[in-house]
Amino acid sequence: MATGILPTEVAVYAVPLVTILLGILIGFLAQRSGYCSIGGFRDYVLFRHTRLLSGYLTLIVASFFGYLLFWFLAPAAMEHFFWALTRDPMSPVPGAPGGLVPVAYLLISVITGFFVGFICVLLGGCPIRQTVMASEGNYKAAFFFLGMCIGSIIFAAYVSGWFTIFMRSIGFGG
Amino acid sequence: MLPGNTSDTVRQYFSYLIRHPAFLGALIGVLAAFSQALLISAGGPEAYGFCVACHTRDLVNGMTNIIAGTSLALAPISGNSVLPVMSVGGVLIGAYLSARMYREHKVKRGGLKDYAVYFLGGFIVLQLAMIFGGCPYRAALRTGYGDITALVFIITMAAGVIVGTLLMLRRAQEEEA
Repeated sequence: MATGILPTEVAVYAVPLVTILLGILIGFLAQRSGYCSIGGFRDYVLFRHTRLLSGYLTLIVASFFGYLLFWFLAPAAMEHFFWALTRDPMSPVPGAPGGLVPVAYLLISVITGFFVGFICVLLGGCPIRQTVMASEGNYKAAFFFLGMCIGSIIFAAYVSGWFTIFMRSIGFGG
Repeated sequence: MLPGNTSDTVRQYFSYLIRHPAFLGALIGVLAAFSQALLISAGGPEAYGFCVACHTRDLVNGMTNIIAGTSLALAPISGNSVLPVMSVGGVLIGAYLSARMYREHKVKRGGLKDYAVYFLGGFIVLQLAMIFGGCPYRAALRTGYGDITALVFIITMAAGVIVGTLLMLRRAQEEEA
């Protein structure tokens, strides 16, 4: 069990507060800069513009250095940094449905990655861009966000279970 | 240089900086690591500082659990806390404030068909993101944390974007011809 800077009793109250402040800052700057991960790759393919792409690539590099920094400052909070060295290199950081064989996660990454990119570019933006556009008064993006909200209830209630049963039935159960 | 000019130059640089995506990228990366260092005692998972899809799931399911008394699945960090993670609510508020402040708030309506397509798009993207365990942003954070499957996700996402872009380009050329 990882321990952060704040003790558990304080952290359970700090979670909503810290994340909403973080979100406001990110939302404000994302609206200013038109931040978009999918748009970065799209602009590069269409116009060879690297402005948006630089934002996403910087995020990857900066997150590595950020985790590295806090791994020095608060090692107990970064229990499994660097994941590929401390764990099985092909296993994912938890968050996805658990209990599958490593190769299944690789397959999942390939398939979901391709379709997330494909669908989002046709709809003109990644999830954060759609959320920001919804705040700017774009009704279409607001319906995208609504779809995500309804989708999260449906996923937790049905799809998650179906998916696990399906993966086990084709022999990917760990 | 005169003091007035200096402050103007500083203001110009600052305005340039907050408008540049790379600045926000660096900021999200460092702040996500900071929030993990601060809050991980409340619960996992790791590399969970910022994610639009996962945090939407946590916000919606967490509030539904509190209001309707259901027990929909969410991340431990949201389940253990008094309220779920609020970053997506923050993004909505922050973007609204910015759009209002700089007079970029503009109501854009679409047809019923557009709404249905976007609703379905959001629905499907969320299912895919949840199966993978993150949106493009958490994929970037996970890559920074050392997760190879997340790097694979980013590469195939780029491939998906390229295929989608070429499809749009071809469709536009066919309409012109």
